[in-house]
Amino acid sequence: MDLTPAPTLTLHVNGRPEEFAARPSELLVERLRDGLGLTGTKVGCDTGQCGTCVVRLDGRSVKSCLVLTASAAGSEVTTIEGVSERGGELTGLQEALRQEHGTQCGFCTPGMVMALGELVENTTPGTAPTEPEIREWLTGNLCRCTGYHSVVRGVQRACAAPPPAPSAGSAVPAAEGR
Amino acid sequence: MTTVTGESTTAGTVLGQPLDSREDPQLLRGEAVYVADIDLPGTAHMAILGSPVAHARILSIDTAAAERLPGVLKVATAADFTDVMPLPCIWIPGGVESHFPPHPYGLPGARPVLTGDTVRHVGDPVAVVVAETPRQAAAALAAIDVAYEPLPVVTRADEALAEGAPQLHEAVPGNLNAYWTCGDKDRTDAAIARAEVTVELDLVNQRTINSPIEPRGAVGDYNAATGEYTLYASTQGPHNHRFLLSALVLGIPFNKLRVIAPTVGGSFGTKGYLYPDMALVLLLSKALGRPVKWVDTRTGLMNSTVQGRDHRQHVTLAGTRDGRITAVRCTSYANLGAYPSTIGPGVATALMGRSISGMYEIPAAFCEVYAAFTNTVSLGAQRGSGRAEAAFLMERLVDRYAAEIGMDPAEVRRRNLVPKEKFPYDNGLGWTYDSGNYAPNFERALELAGYAGMPARKAAARARGKRLGVGIATYVAICGVGPSTRMSKEGMLGGTWESANIRVHPTGEVTVTVGSASTGQSHGTVFAMVAADELGIDPAQVQVYEGDTLKAPYGQGTYGSRSYSMAAPAVALTARKIKAKLIKAGAVFLNVPEDKVVYEHGGVHEAGNPENAKTFAELAMAMWYGWGLPPEIEPALDETTHFDPPDFNYPFGTHVAVVEIDELTGETEVVDYTAVDDAGNIGNPKIVHGQIEGSIVHGLGQALMEAAEYDENGILLSSDLTHYALPRAADVPFFTLDRTVTPSPHNPLGAKGAGEIATVPPAAAVVNAVVDALADLGVQHIDMPLTPEKVWRVLEGGAR
Repeated sequence: MDLTPAPTLTLHVNGRPEEFAARPSELLVERLRDGLGLTGTKVGCDTGQCGTCVVRLDGRSVKSCLVLTASAAGSEVTTIEGVSERGGELTGLQEALRQEHGTQCGFCTPGMVMALGELVENTTPGTAPTEPEIREWLTGNLCRCTGYHSVVRGVQRACAAPPPAPSAGSAVPAAEGR
Repeated sequence: MTTVTGESTTAGTVLGQPLDSREDPQLLRGEAVYVADIDLPGTAHMAILGSPVAHARILSIDTAAAERLPGVLKVATAADFTDVMPLPCIWIPGGVESHFPPHPYGLPGARPVLTGDTVRHVGDPVAVVVAETPRQAAAALAAIDVAYEPLPVVTRADEALAEGAPQLHEAVPGNLNAYWTCGDKDRTDAAIARAEVTVELDLVNQRTINSPIEPRGAVGDYNAATGEYTLYASTQGPHNHRFLLSALVLGIPFNKLRVIAPTVGGSFGTKGYLYPDMALVLLLSKALGRPVKWVDTRTGLMNSTVQGRDHRQHVTLAGTRDGRITAVRCTSYANLGAYPSTIGPGVATALMGRSISGMYEIPAAFCEVYAAFTNTVSLGAQRGSGRAEAAFLMERLVDRYAAEIGMDPAEVRRRNLVPKEKFPYDNGLGWTYDSGNYAPNFERALELAGYAGMPARKAAARARGKRLGVGIATYVAICGVGPSTRMSKEGMLGGTWESANIRVHPTGEVTVTVGSASTGQSHGTVFAMVAADELGIDPAQVQVYEGDTLKAPYGQGTYGSRSYSMAAPAVALTARKIKAKLIKAGAVFLNVPEDKVVYEHGGVHEAGNPENAKTFAELAMAMWYGWGLPPEIEPALDETTHFDPPDFNYPFGTHVAVVEIDELTGETEVVDYTAVDDAGNIGNPKIVHGQIEGSIVHGLGQALMEAAEYDENGILLSSDLTHYALPRAADVPFFTLDRTVTPSPHNPLGAKGAGEIATVPPAAAVVNAVVDALADLGVQHIDMPLTPEKVWRVLEGGAR
């Protein structure tokens, strides 16, 4: 057994410095959920496929089940808890997803909000992502309830993208209840 | 952008409005609490050791090394739970002799909480560890030494029934759970024998894994001071789980167990089942004097949570040269897995078999199911369960028949739809459809899909090196599982009614509690709308509680798209009781005869004299005081309804898929998808719309990529999400959706099931479209999933 005292590491989580003893095999998602009680970040698949654990690491969205906590030392970590105040106002993206009912069971939702936040933040007004670009961006996040449509519409709304052109043979674009 | 054809019977002003889901903000902020997020003080963590082999005798289990590991509090095996009953099965194939492992109460028994003698599938639980941390518990599993003596393995239902097949259960000779039939065999055989045209198909409706994104979890908390148990679980039927676990597994009084469903991260059928872990966390919490928590891994889920579909079928359709279907027959081998799940045997028989004739008027129909046990994970429900398998075989047959007689598949369908004037319609297989108006629904879907323009699109696609195909699928989905007496004839052991309570508080706010429990369907929004609509008040005044057996009245739970046509009617009827009482009391408060009291906008006033009035808030306070009420009117407003409908309801619809196949790669792309569904009157179109979209993607998943693959040793090869493909956002286009409205006469809302109905036809629509695209190669059928490799091989090899 290695008796060397574990070095102290620091993560800046949602703007607050968090110091702790490093465990070599600890995953970032474990540190966030079990160590810091930030349970908005979810675990869905254990293999990096589902995207429920996406957080922002120095601004980039990453799957926190694929990041060793130690390797993130010194970084800025933003979790869903750092995106909006508890019980408070929704961000523009969250509000757009609410208006499009871009959620059902909600388990994949925090990861989607974190991943899509990067897309929306980096969208210059007037250069909204296309539908295929949004769908491509979303390929790292699995959702079993919504079929993604309401999520894609939510991003379009958040980016104020023009509505999609109807494809050949479609008399009516899918749109109901809005 | 919806054209609604049909009649709405909804009277109020709130229902039918696309209100935002009130559940959404918490979900979007990550604040909702799922089982894995529950952290009770002093919690210990459980991990389950599943069998690594599919069929074996357990010779010995040595737990000594595991017990010595750091943090380990307890290691338990079957020997520790000899007084615990096996998990029962409560839906057996109705009306036929069936064979099950036994349960002490004379019920069909399922699996024990831990397996002590013989393991029957990979993942069969043989031991558990409880430790201080989840990592310690998981690490200790590796130190448990189990000696297995391998037994021969069988994973297919038809092979399990063959002579000399490995035997799974002593009480089940030949592995045959039941031979179940519906319809008229002689009449059907005769119609097929004398038919002008017959077509036949051999179909594999492959086993699939529901894959809710939240794996299951459970927290058990035993209170030694009161002797009460609390179970927090990812369940879609907390009341049902309370009954089954207390009385039929643990043998403890019903009123000593409380079950709480926190936020549940998707289910699609899988979380209504009773699993060993639910009992184990309670038993171990009592043994250790601490809360015990278990959260599954994805691989654990795939090797233990019920799987779906899995029929091998030989199907035959008979008809005339001019497109009239005269008979349909199905012989199906259903794979129940290693143990009967809570309701799996009923799903594999009645839900599938009685649905096979779909939207068509067919003079002779017959279905037989051989339900068999094999060395695979137990079979259960899966979004659209039974109905999707039925629609698949029927809609594949109709296309095959159309090709055989050289008629447009749309025209064949048109000629056989049950006409409007025939409802209620007995389908000859055991279901009596409540209401239907199929032709406008069918024509609307073709019109929206641009069906008439397909030949031109096919030619244009060929010029781009793509093969374009179009596939139609219609369906009828039995929903509103609730007539308890009717369900008893189908072999359901228990009441299937739903209940609702409404309390009006002195301040005029309203609390609704229901037995149903959401797994993401925004019940809090929709049930508030139902109560507000009936009472004529603002939905914001109404709070909804469910999912906690201590707070809410009994209900079977959310499954089979039944909440809006079972629990919502209970809410509406309860609100009507409140309203009736307020009219009675209003006569006293307004000092006028009862027939002069008008109830409007939540308040009462005297007919012709709006000045003599009481608002809802005034009435609520007055009823709470109870001053001056005559003896026949009790104070307060607190009413309950137990709703058991006269019969099921039958939503229906038409879907059209357009696919393009890349000639070089075999890749199938769904380029357009049109769905016109009819769920009767719907409560919140925004929420239903989302459920329809998600359901279609689920169905496309089965058609194109999903499959639970077992090897010859019974090892589940697709046991995580790197080996089991789920549709991703880039795999689907936007859909074209519309609906028609044909209210059900079987509940006061005119509602039919909605949530999962759109999962029923997509697999058939897509396979029909792919076969259409390949028809010139002589292709008559391809088994799902239609992976690029499979389609490429067909393109290379031609006819199949």
